[in-house]
Amino acid sequence: MALRRGRDLLHRWERNPIITLRDVPYRCNTVFNGTPVKLDGQYVMIVRIEGQQGYSCFALARSRDGVHFEVEDEPCLRPADSGPFQRWELNGIEDPRVTLLEGNYYVLYTAVGGNGHRIALARTEDFRTYERIALISGPGNKDGVLFPQKVGGLYARLDRPFGHGIGSIWVSYSPDLIHWGRSELAFRPRPRYWDSYRIGASAPPILTDQGWLEIYHGVKMTSAGPIYRIGTAMLDRDNPARVIGRCLAPVLSPREEYERIGDVGNVVFACGAIVEDDGEVKVYYGAADTSICVATARIEEIIESSLEERP
Amino acid sequence: MDLVVGRDVVRRWPENPLLSIEDVPFRCSDVWNAGVVPFPQGYLLLLTVESLRGQTMIYRAVSQDGRHFTVDPEPFLTPAESGPCRDYENAGVRDARITLLDDTYYVTYLAESDFGWRVGLARTDDFQTVERLGMVTQPDTKGGALFPAKFGGRYALLERPDPGMSIWISYSDDLEFWGASTVVMTPRGGYWDSDRIGTGAPPIRIPEGWLLLYYGEKLTSAGPLTRLGAAILDADNPSEVVARSNIPILAPREPYERIGDVPNMVFSCGAVLIEDVLHIYYGASDSCICLGTARLRDVVGACLASRMEF
Repeated sequence: MALRRGRDLLHRWERNPIITLRDVPYRCNTVFNGTPVKLDGQYVMIVRIEGQQGYSCFALARSRDGVHFEVEDEPCLRPADSGPFQRWELNGIEDPRVTLLEGNYYVLYTAVGGNGHRIALARTEDFRTYERIALISGPGNKDGVLFPQKVGGLYARLDRPFGHGIGSIWVSYSPDLIHWGRSELAFRPRPRYWDSYRIGASAPPILTDQGWLEIYHGVKMTSAGPIYRIGTAMLDRDNPARVIGRCLAPVLSPREEYERIGDVGNVVFACGAIVEDDGEVKVYYGAADTSICVATARIEEIIESSLEERP
Repeated sequence: MDLVVGRDVVRRWPENPLLSIEDVPFRCSDVWNAGVVPFPQGYLLLLTVESLRGQTMIYRAVSQDGRHFTVDPEPFLTPAESGPCRDYENAGVRDARITLLDDTYYVTYLAESDFGWRVGLARTDDFQTVERLGMVTQPDTKGGALFPAKFGGRYALLERPDPGMSIWISYSDDLEFWGASTVVMTPRGGYWDSDRIGTGAPPIRIPEGWLLLYYGEKLTSAGPLTRLGAAILDADNPSEVVARSNIPILAPREPYERIGDVPNMVFSCGAVLIEDVLHIYYGASDSCICLGTARLRDVVGACLASRMEF
């Protein structure tokens, strides 16, 4: 696939963005933050659609080549309009992350209700119907990603609670996906770095021979507002709260017009990545909260970036 | 006992404060917020003591009559120096709340570190030795109090996560993995508890359900005004509020409640029901420990009188 060479480790596809408002067959405000899986040779992506009324739902996009996507005619998951999830999703559902675990597809997403953000867990087989399982965090938590296999006999997730007002990446464990505990800090914003203000998990962790590769987002606050960039870290395979390495520089920064200009400018924000058989990694990311893009690198290069700084 | 009759439902013991730094057998900065339990033939407090350096630890104080206490020279619980809690307690442990459940005393406490506030859980049989069970919340969460009963076989914990400044409940089969979290009570705009609320004493079983003493804050231009309120939670489903008092049952009025490191504050981590009288131990101005009493029917009456209004 033809790529634009830039200063970043990840190379943008030359015809970014790959999904915009024009690809959505109904009226909405924006489409961004999609989470991809590869299913029977096809690319399937759950994307976040922000309606014109202001709250978000999810839609399904499909592609044969990973860059030309078709968005389905109707949203695939809307905020709950009844039942126990309703009060927690009154203001929408946001930022899905899908993980294949024990033969099931699980989607973690942010439920936005009257009491703030919480992480919700749903399961799907066909990406058309979704079974809501549980709200798995307290309020004020988001950016939940599920590990694709158990760690030490327990399910594991990363998330982003606030400690003393600082958003950091934590690990929690569960015997049943419903009750969670043993929460531990994994890594924090780094003063003076590009990720000095806030960090959060982006893609569900990818198991490599070096450990768990985490593609995360880091935020720097400027006088004009935040800059969201994409970084990498390597977590210990058996104890993912232990950071083996972390990138020094971001692997992707907002530079192109579609990343600089939009409803929330200066944002690149990944919600998932596909590791191809040949070692190419396709990172799907929302740009400026307004469109969806893809950028790629070799898995070896991404792993190398995640080991630039060793604790 | 002679009581100072004031405007509040809760009446103050005339010799308040019960305990101040003068009663601590070593130099310290402050003593505040104590959990309480009848033990063994008297009363036992777990006090928050702030060291001169500024770190908090939990100390034991014992009394025959519940009024005159002797403070231990050695701490009961200090910030963990090893194990999984170590990284989360280096700024201190404080605000102990004691719950007797299945013949074991459980102590929930607030742990502070660079990484935020979390609720820790420990267990003791004799208040001589203490075993940590671990952290039971993520940051930033305060106000952890374990119910002295199980619900459908599950433990239940009240907690106060910072976002929303509301009281929440979580459930667990094993005290380690927690879920089914939901909000119980929120601040009320226009009331005395308009800006933030949090768990006070661990819930006390009464015929009407669970009595919850909680603190409510109103933010003023001079800082927060922290008062004590009461609510009744459903006996079988404690996430449901049956009644909630529209008025505080105790408000800072006396000099020891008005003046201190954190002025205009009454804050309870424990209360004991003796016959029909509620004995509420409360920290005042983050600088001393006081006692107030109230007839249970007056507190319940204050909650039920407000039934239609919350």
